[in-house]
Amino acid sequence: MDLAARRTLVGELAMRQLDAAYNLARWLLGNDADAGDAVHDAFVRALQSAHTYAGGNGKAWWLTIVRHCCFARLKEHGRGRRFVAIDQLAAELGEAAAQRVLPNTAADEPEQNAAAAQERARLHRQLRGLPEEYREVLVLREIEELSYREIAQMLSIPIGTVMSRLSRGREKLLQALGANGDRP
Amino acid sequence: MNCESSRRLLPLYFDGELDPADSRAFEAHLDGCAACRQALAELEALRARLRDPAMRYAAPAALRGRLAAAMPAARPRARAWAALAASWLAAALLGAGAAGLWHDRQQGLRAQAGLTRDLFASHWRALAAASPVDVVSSDRHTVKPWFAGKVAESPPVRDFAAQGFPLAGGRIDYVGSARVPVLVYRHGGHLIDVFVLAAPPAGLPRQARMQGYGLRVLALDHAAAAVVSDMDEAELDRFARLLAQGGEPPPSR
Repeated sequence: MDLAARRTLVGELAMRQLDAAYNLARWLLGNDADAGDAVHDAFVRALQSAHTYAGGNGKAWWLTIVRHCCFARLKEHGRGRRFVAIDQLAAELGEAAAQRVLPNTAADEPEQNAAAAQERARLHRQLRGLPEEYREVLVLREIEELSYREIAQMLSIPIGTVMSRLSRGREKLLQALGANGDRP
Repeated sequence: MNCESSRRLLPLYFDGELDPADSRAFEAHLDGCAACRQALAELEALRARLRDPAMRYAAPAALRGRLAAAMPAARPRARAWAALAASWLAAALLGAGAAGLWHDRQQGLRAQAGLTRDLFASHWRALAAASPVDVVSSDRHTVKPWFAGKVAESPPVRDFAAQGFPLAGGRIDYVGSARVPVLVYRHGGHLIDVFVLAAPPAGLPRQARMQGYGLRVLALDHAAAAVVSDMDEAELDRFARLLAQGGEPPPSR
């Protein structure tokens, strides 16, 4: 396959998995502007390194690049004040802020809807508040549905570490939600 | 299996990372252990909430437009955009299919999900094993006789080396409780498992996707085949077509 065709392939792959990329970046960086920029960086970098894509599991390959770009961005921002500031702001505003970022579903039962939105907001806040190492594996496993092996490769860590972070992360979330009297 | 060791396996079972034998042992324990069932239910409830579409940020349209404009124009053709749109549509349909599968599973079609999971788990276990094949050979005249006596019927064995899918060997594996022959092919760095099934099992989806691995189910000579690999969709379809068109194999002995 020539380079041009490979670049097209990679470009299409990235576009197909754009929501996955944005979702990961948004959860890692905590705000829309940086998430968008990181995904854009990743797109450019993916096209540049299209020759390294060996085919096969494209999603994990592409998300690895996205993740690197997110961390590059965090580093670049030094202490990461921008991110911290916005995350803190969200934490301070609490559920109101979290609800704002969550799309509303069709409302037929406004009250029920509000309760569901509140519950989603709580989970959202808990996940956002988790240490990055747990938040990252939870997003990759539960939302993006990657396997242990894919996550281990993406993060360059042993599968055992993926398992322990995932377990710990789930535990923390369940505890936090339970503590809020949230468990059914 | 006691509760302590079962707690260790619980997340693996939940994440579909246990092999069929361990899964069954775990399920046997689960039947008699309310505490483990409760723990599993908690994980499932948490997952359902995390997989709520509201938890997943969608890429803003502006970003999508920005990147689409930066897409490399490999072969400028009038229909390039139409093709791209079609591929997105196909991806969306596939996604919907996968979501549907997940939904089905949630609806309690556990048998079907179990069979699909068995196929994927078997492939993953083979990948994790020291060797994914029990008989290593690129020669179908070696692979076919090897199966004789190990399974009821030796599967048709064809080599697609010329088309870029050389035969790597074969092994015997379990799908459900049945011993089935598995033909193993390679494509670049990818391993392809072809499970040769006596008949298309009821309820098995024609295609499925799990954690980056794809499944295709197709008719094969007098049998059916389930193909599992981590190749991308297009390659998987190409291989499935080759296999389906393979037709009557030339006499292999």
